[in-house]
Amino acid sequence: MEQKPQAPPKRTELHMARSMCWHCQSEITGEYFCEQCVKVQPLSKELDYFTCLGLPRLLNIDLEALESKFYALSRSFHPDFYHNKTESEQAISLGNSALLNIAYRTLKDPVQRAEYLLKLEAGSAKDIRSSPPADLFEEILALQEDLEEYRQAAPERDPAVLEPLKAKLSSDRDRLEQRQREMDTRLPELFNAWDHLQTRAGAAPVDDRLRKERETILKDLRELLSNRTYLRNIITDLVAAMA
Amino acid sequence: MAYSEKVVDHFNNPRNMGSFKKDEDGVGTGIVGAPECGDVMKLQIKVQNDTIVDAKFKTFGCGSAIASSSLATEWLKGKTVEEAQQIKNTDIVQELNLPPVKIHCSVLAEDAIKAALNDYKKKAEETK
Repeated sequence: MEQKPQAPPKRTELHMARSMCWHCQSEITGEYFCEQCVKVQPLSKELDYFTCLGLPRLLNIDLEALESKFYALSRSFHPDFYHNKTESEQAISLGNSALLNIAYRTLKDPVQRAEYLLKLEAGSAKDIRSSPPADLFEEILALQEDLEEYRQAAPERDPAVLEPLKAKLSSDRDRLEQRQREMDTRLPELFNAWDHLQTRAGAAPVDDRLRKERETILKDLRELLSNRTYLRNIITDLVAAMA
Repeated sequence: MAYSEKVVDHFNNPRNMGSFKKDEDGVGTGIVGAPECGDVMKLQIKVQNDTIVDAKFKTFGCGSAIASSSLATEWLKGKTVEEAQQIKNTDIVQELNLPPVKIHCSVLAEDAIKAALNDYKKKAEETK
């Protein structure tokens, strides 16, 4: 797509209150377009990705619904349909499309979706930062040291030195990959727990027990995702070094 | 985004890389990680008469994380335990000119300092 040099969008126009059309100032009742003057409205920076794509804040999502909503919105915001509109509308179309793309990419991937949900919920579940898994760190540091030894020995090409190191590292790699698979089966369990709680909480008044349960799930999720990241990094390093 | 000159310098010539024996007298060890990127940092101090006489680190992560911990060990040497407690991640950000996306690296270094100091204090308490 050709990029024409554009004047920077007029900031004041983009920061208009969301409840009022930036163009005709009438109250907005439509979702992303003003019903009075039919002008496209900027997506609010505060809009969360779930709301933006018309999904409840759950971890198991209907991927087909996500996709069809994404396509529908993409069509209505696409910059190609705005090239003969005003500068402000072009800027809004561009901004909305960018936000929409990020929202879609984030929600489509289960891990990114969960990370995003944690970010959203961090305010309601305080102290979501999990305690550092000290034994995992120790293990990773020890592995990194073995890996360093291997990298240093590799150029010498001495099988007597390399082979035992290689054997150790590849069995470490297998063990870690196994652990990652275990983590990946735990993920859907937590997804279900969260969704179940959300659905239940929808009807019930929020009490301490519910709040506690909620925090536990979020904390477990945080921990699982963090450990998964550490694990993935060391596995990537192992695979790369031994390739 | 390009790294600042100071980050590149610390990355290419890391100061005080290595480790002490964990159970050695006066050694405090802090191991921390950043869940955002999966970086892992180990920082150790060696204390004699309430003064940090030596510090070492091992960091497996990006250039900014390595530079932050390298700088931290430089700053720690010669400080008292009390003074070391005052090192803030913002000091590291300023010194290394870290961009916003790399601020968590400096937070990691501060966490590592705190963890090492706590470990030292705990051990000192136990041997009293």
